Amino acid sequence: MMPLLLQQIANGLVIGSTYAVVALGFSLAFTVLRVINFAHPDIFMVGMFAGLVLAVPGPWGFVVALGAGALGAAAVGYALERTVISPLRGRDVLMTLIGTLGVAIMLENGMALIAGPDPVSYPNLLPREFVDIGPVTLTLRQVVNFAICLALLVLVSLYVRATKFGRATRAIAERPDVAAAFGVDVGRVCQATILIASAMAGVAAVSVGAMYGSAHAFVGLLYGLKAFTCMLVAGNRYFEGVMVVALGLGIIEALVTGYLSSSLRDAVAFFVLIGVLLFRPNGLFGSYAT
Amino acid sequence: MTPLLSVSDLAVSYGAVPAVAGVSLEIFPGEVRVILGANGAGKTTIIKTVLGLLRPRRGTVRYGGEHDLLRLKPHQIRRLGVAWVPEGRQLWNTLSVIDNLRMGGFAERDAKAVDRRVDEMFERFPRLRERRDQVAGSLSGGEQQMVAIARALIAAPKLLLMDEPSLGLAPIIVRDVFRLVRDINAMGISILMVEQNARQALRVASWAYLLEVGAIVDSGPVSEIASHSRIQAIFLGGEA
Amino acid sequence: MPSFAYFEPILIFTLLNVTMAMGLYITALSGQLSMATAAIAGVGAYLSAILTAKWGWPFLPAIVCAAAIGAVVGTLLALVTLRMRDFILKLTTLAFGEALSVLAFNWEYIGGANSFTGITLYTTLPQCVLAALLALYVAWRFDGSRLGFAARAVRDDPLAAGAMGVPLMRVRVITFALGSALVGIGGALQAHYLLVISPNELGFFVSLNFVIFLLFGGLQTLWGPVLGAALLTALPELLRFTSQYRLILYGLIIVLVVLVRPEGVLTRKPTGQARRLFGRILVPERPVGALAERPTDRPLPLGLVQRSAER
Repeated sequence: MMPLLLQQIANGLVIGSTYAVVALGFSLAFTVLRVINFAHPDIFMVGMFAGLVLAVPGPWGFVVALGAGALGAAAVGYALERTVISPLRGRDVLMTLIGTLGVAIMLENGMALIAGPDPVSYPNLLPREFVDIGPVTLTLRQVVNFAICLALLVLVSLYVRATKFGRATRAIAERPDVAAAFGVDVGRVCQATILIASAMAGVAAVSVGAMYGSAHAFVGLLYGLKAFTCMLVAGNRYFEGVMVVALGLGIIEALVTGYLSSSLRDAVAFFVLIGVLLFRPNGLFGSYAT
Repeated sequence: MTPLLSVSDLAVSYGAVPAVAGVSLEIFPGEVRVILGANGAGKTTIIKTVLGLLRPRRGTVRYGGEHDLLRLKPHQIRRLGVAWVPEGRQLWNTLSVIDNLRMGGFAERDAKAVDRRVDEMFERFPRLRERRDQVAGSLSGGEQQMVAIARALIAAPKLLLMDEPSLGLAPIIVRDVFRLVRDINAMGISILMVEQNARQALRVASWAYLLEVGAIVDSGPVSEIASHSRIQAIFLGGEA
Repeated sequence: MPSFAYFEPILIFTLLNVTMAMGLYITALSGQLSMATAAIAGVGAYLSAILTAKWGWPFLPAIVCAAAIGAVVGTLLALVTLRMRDFILKLTTLAFGEALSVLAFNWEYIGGANSFTGITLYTTLPQCVLAALLALYVAWRFDGSRLGFAARAVRDDPLAAGAMGVPLMRVRVITFALGSALVGIGGALQAHYLLVISPNELGFFVSLNFVIFLLFGGLQTLWGPVLGAALLTALPELLRFTSQYRLILYGLIIVLVVLVRPEGVLTRKPTGQARRLFGRILVPERPVGALAERPTDRPLPLGLVQRSAER
């Protein structure tokens, strides 16, 4: 019994760390800009394909692909910020959701037009090896993916806690007007926030693509709804809250898959969400007033 | 002498609801001026417009004779030396005290200078040094007001906009706050204050404006205006 | 020239979406912009399909039952979300829809993941015209009724409306139940035309389509949602592009409307003077505060402010 439990927890942490990166990007946009960026999961998708296109064989292939994913995603994020998000900032949250959803539809179907609507196989950027960690066996690709996602989360956490710009980011999240009046160029910080969220999603996307060995124009849907749910369950007061919830969701999903049935897996997130909304409508870790 | 700040014929609305209609006022370097008015008279609206957070329907806001503040964004206005003590403090409750103070100096490029001024503030408010790593939301009302004022001073302002600095504070602390206002002014900083506590405000200010439903109905040097019947009736409870 | 047989399905889907959009319009009138429209339609669809396909009922009573269960679900949602803040209300309805979708996915009796099949074709074009007319009539009567005004009062300020004696709970329950009944009818008619119900059709993204219909057309008048539902259903079909191009265009239209006409295409504002109309199209209402691109309390031409600021 124990080995299965530990194995599933390990699997859950791997997938949960990916949810966490996407969810953190959602949360950054929502907390700092008050914008629900439904195009974010598709920026993740664009990063995945950018990494696929520029992937070269050889030892540095993976690193090059990660860089390409970050750049591709950041480029789309930048364009999105300039054309849609910036004009929508300060509007009703639902309008931002609909507007960015329009962009998401364009990105998904645009990519389906280029790459085809079916999954495309990803180049072998990492060797197929297994790694034993105590009683748990993971593939090397899983371990690498977990390490990359964890590193991204720690970097963002350091950024918002220990840098001047990061401090301004949190200041805008709580009181945009006061931050502006004390010299923060709100527009620029918002832009930087979207760029960081996008680049981060791009890096994670390449590592996920390498892990599963495929890329798909509609991959964003799955990650999008789950990441969105994680953000709501956590509340937006602490960025770290989203990370914890996403990792937890990954573990719960893995346990449901292991002990109950895999068809129930995708339902878990929504049952958690309903429960939390009923009893803690501001999320487990609290939210800023909107 | 050119006024440090001159507002003329300012009109601001929220949607279709007018908040301020045709307000003119000015403040000269080194002065303390106060805008008296009840809740909803439009005091905060004037302050926020000067800060660039609201856009007026008409009017002009000039600073130091040469800058048209209506053309600038809030962070650019801050760089000209305008700082703000907002109504109800409005600290960043999830940031530590020291981070709140550092944010006050955000516009300053020289990080060392900011650290130095933060230290100065800790000298002036030893209570805040004790609480430097606590989140601001956990402080008492009086301590929060100290942080709000210190945060504005770290910006080394020429003009300080104070929005109801005495709101919600115990009487003893209110006295401290007004003593502090005098000290700040003695440092050469001009202060435009908005207050409901007319008795205290008229003691530190040299000139007062009376705002009613978005318009200035009376103004003049404090020595004269304090005796006007309207101010007597509304704010000073009839006693001289 | 394509034949009528080509247009008939487009016409039917358009009429059904108008019917359901009217349902959501009534629900949203009291401030409950539900994100569970597709789920409620799905409940109506599944129930009517069970009644006709499994229990051998005739079509009409099955439709009536679909309306009834829509009303029941609507009442339930209204009661659960009664005291919730706007944003949380939307999220709760969203989560409810997703949960129903998952339930349908795992319930073998109604086909589970393999979809509900074996439904008989009953729905005809005249029936859909009738349903759409009924929905329009109901919405139109409701719009002008005392209850309609009470609903708007609740939407604009629930506290103030309550203080003025508007029965908050009754208004919200009635609008949600009435709207959901219409949605249930639409869902049932659709099921007996498509002949298959898939659990995916209950999910968030399908529900969001109805919200988009409303916001696209504008919520200020009854005709906004009608226009939104009709245009956004029929237009992509009539354009006859490949499905990817069609969806890209759909996304683009949504983005443009949200950016350029934030209150929807149809608004109540006077449009007499051409200049004023032109101005309104180019100049959306902008909010106040640092989060807006440039804080403002009145519409300003896009871009003008920034340029002047940098000078």
